[in-house]
Amino acid sequence: MLAQDDLLSMLDEEQSKDPVYTMATFKASRLINGQTIETISKNHLNFWISHRFGAVNSGFIANFFGLDEAKIRLGLEYGFTDRWLVGAGRSSLEKTYDLYTKYKVLRQSNKIPITVTALAGWGINTMPSGYVMESGSTMKFNNNIERYSYWSQLLIARKFTEKLSLQVMPTFIHVNKVEDPSIPNQLYALGGGGRYKLSQRFTLSAEYYHTFRELEDDEDDDDGGGNAAFPYPYRDAVSFGVDIETGGHVFQFHLTNARGMVEKQFIGQNVGSWGKGDVFYGFNIARTFSLDKSARNTHK
Amino acid sequence: MKTKLIFLSLALMLITGLVSAQSLYRTSVGELSFFSETPVLDIEAVNQKTGAILNVGTKELAIQAKITDFQFPNKLMQEHFNENYMESERFPTAKFAGKIKEQVDLTKAGTYSVTAEGNLTIHGVTKPVQVKGTIVATATALQVNFSFQVRTADYQIEVPTLVFDKIAETITVSGKLNLVKQ
Repeated sequence: MLAQDDLLSMLDEEQSKDPVYTMATFKASRLINGQTIETISKNHLNFWISHRFGAVNSGFIANFFGLDEAKIRLGLEYGFTDRWLVGAGRSSLEKTYDLYTKYKVLRQSNKIPITVTALAGWGINTMPSGYVMESGSTMKFNNNIERYSYWSQLLIARKFTEKLSLQVMPTFIHVNKVEDPSIPNQLYALGGGGRYKLSQRFTLSAEYYHTFRELEDDEDDDDGGGNAAFPYPYRDAVSFGVDIETGGHVFQFHLTNARGMVEKQFIGQNVGSWGKGDVFYGFNIARTFSLDKSARNTHK
Repeated sequence: MKTKLIFLSLALMLITGLVSAQSLYRTSVGELSFFSETPVLDIEAVNQKTGAILNVGTKELAIQAKITDFQFPNKLMQEHFNENYMESERFPTAKFAGKIKEQVDLTKAGTYSVTAEGNLTIHGVTKPVQVKGTIVATATALQVNFSFQVRTADYQIEVPTLVFDKIAETITVSGKLNLVKQ
């Protein structure tokens, strides 16, 4: 028996030279509203269906506790390589189209402690000029450029144990046109989130984005946003969720005070307040398809 | 650096002293695949980095495969295989250590039907197994082919009911190892 074990240890010595990459830090490429460090594999396609129902406090008769209405985002993501994806989506909230790309710069392994993914996105609001925003202000657009917004994020995560993964997300958002001079066009935010796996397919998750309005450099304004005439209408987004994984699908159910599903909305223009009970139920469903025909053929 | 080299050569001498290098056949790019067949879904995965060593003197055989090296056409399935079924962070390898039962002289060219008897470890569970296969021997290489069945339940691999990846209770594992004389 001893000699056989020697043979095994010779094999083990050779095989343990390769780095072992951490996989599945998160179940999906989205945590709740925001993104995770996860990208999708080469030639794989992700289809996202997301709903945010009405506020829980909107009444039983009037709105069936919010279930009478929903904001919807449909999205697609495609993996050009195992580390680079491009995604697009359309939200019914402010009829916004979004386009983004994500690249995994650093992968956690037995040599590197964290995974780092960079994200850049662009959105266009296609509401008619002069519509009333969620915050109650009227928004007028003079040209299409004013409808654009941009965001970028660094997503930094570590899978601490099989069950626990944590992520921080420094974020920068630029909105070309805001409704009031007291609201900054540029916004810095820091997100934090994580997941805890209760079982192989059941996961708890949480996500929080804190905005730093005082860091903006809007020349029209020196009081950190908001004044007596126009109180700052937006709040930080806090979300809690569960992920259920069933093979090709991931179901994410959550409670959040953010109704938007695009970074500009859920980080920068979030009107819901947990204190007042304007909390929204929501879900995301992700379905992954493999378009990798060549891999399939070589294995058959 | 020099002391390192000396240590390395000492260690090498020790190993070669234990198992005569003359009689070792080895590969690090062996192919190990498995196949799960259900009416709903066929799943196949291939590992092309399987390591194996056969000592023709003692007829001892060791095979080791890293779980993360199994490639699936669908990468999501690959992730589930590692995360949910094989728990590859806890149990990174599958391995076999055993001996060929038959009295065959593998140093002579020819085709031999053989049975390897030993311990198979998958998902951290070790079980005694017997695997039948063939070895085609040439002057410098041994082509080892085998195929056997594994019951997932024997190795405590849980397949819950709430999944769309339908996985067979019994999985066929086959190997093609081209061992080269050292």
